[in-house]
Amino acid sequence: MIRIVLHGIVLAASAAVPLASAAPRACDPTAAQLAVTVTPDPRGPTAPRMGDRLAFRWMVVNHGASAATGMIVWLTLLRVDTGHEQAVDLEDWSTDKAVLVDNLASNNIIRRTWTLRLISSGTYRVLVGVATPDVPVPTVAASEAFTVAPKLVVESIRVLPVALGIPFTLGILLAFRLVRGHAGTGTEDAD
Amino acid sequence: MSPSAAIARYEGGEILASPRGLAWLLAAAAVLSSFALLLIGSTELGLLDNAQVVCGMAGLAVALGAVIAAVMGVDAMAGERERGALLPLLATAAPRRSILLGKLGGQALAWAAMVALAAPYLWAVGSTGQNLGMALLGLVLFGTPVVLAAGAGAMALGALLHSARAALVASLITLLLAASPLLLGPSLRQSALGRGFDAVNPFSGAINALDAMIVDGESLLSQGWKLTFAVAWLMVAYAAALGSLQPRAGRDLAT
Repeated sequence: MIRIVLHGIVLAASAAVPLASAAPRACDPTAAQLAVTVTPDPRGPTAPRMGDRLAFRWMVVNHGASAATGMIVWLTLLRVDTGHEQAVDLEDWSTDKAVLVDNLASNNIIRRTWTLRLISSGTYRVLVGVATPDVPVPTVAASEAFTVAPKLVVESIRVLPVALGIPFTLGILLAFRLVRGHAGTGTEDAD
Repeated sequence: MSPSAAIARYEGGEILASPRGLAWLLAAAAVLSSFALLLIGSTELGLLDNAQVVCGMAGLAVALGAVIAAVMGVDAMAGERERGALLPLLATAAPRRSILLGKLGGQALAWAAMVALAAPYLWAVGSTGQNLGMALLGLVLFGTPVVLAAGAGAMALGALLHSARAALVASLITLLLAASPLLLGPSLRQSALGRGFDAVNPFSGAINALDAMIVDGESLLSQGWKLTFAVAWLMVAYAAALGSLQPRAGRDLAT
């Protein structure tokens, strides 16, 4: 069962900031202008397996007094299994990785859905971040962890008959042809 | 029956019924079986890996088909010349274009046998059913021009070079170079040289198209230019083979 944390998480941006001005920016009041939430599509599987598709609905609300321009909303997938913690490359999980919203007026909402194709088993969390050029601290909403059950992708019961049966059949055919060819040659010789 | 159809039927029959052709198919089956058997027991494969396995199997089938077409192409010219069978064929009333089309038809039949051989392997390793239909479609659409281009190019080399052995070595080395994308993944071909090589290599185009369709799930329509490119290479190889068959001063094809 997937549950979602609806509150936003504010991350401190530290890249390319001079040390002298590297004070925490989590309290930047402009960061509160944008709120983002992410929820799973209720029509999706409750116990997802590899190969399933899982949709996540996200929503960004502009609480600020002015319009938000040049807004980027992006998806991040984290694997959180112990020993396998990593940010997952979305290349094959989702064709849509980010959305650019040119303008979101004050007190307006934008909603979209992102669909993930579940490629590998494991435990994951989905993050949806939103940032604008004017607001240096992005806002991020996170889902709670969900588990993708494994699925056998190469079944030996299918591979073995093919991998052994076809060469065996061709070998029998070849032997038959060779034996028949030799027999024909022998008959001609006898004649 | 037209001369082209008669030659194609004869050449195709060689691969489908003769011990030599059956031995080639057996060798191809052994390669595909080895690839499939290596995967059994792996518990670390994700769906992405599975799609890549299907893509790799399709690429391997294209490579095997191209090798068989190249050997058939060299044999069709240089081999028959050394056996003394080319001169009687060229001396017939059949136009050289028909002879060439017949030889290519035989290679097409051999490629059809290769596709039929590869299909159960694709089904076996693609147990998730993920893009299996696209794999077969891509194999036919992109493999056919690449394989026939390899065969036509080998025929041109077989006609131009004096020795069948030299023509075979030249064909296989060219094919090995063209098929290098099977060994070097896309990430290793991101240099300017690698991208340039991909841009002119029809084998790269076919492998990239198969990857896009099978692994990335892209539509066939988005691969249109790669298909056009592969067909264009087939036309170039066909023109080269046809040109090599034309009599020219100072060159005797039959010797």
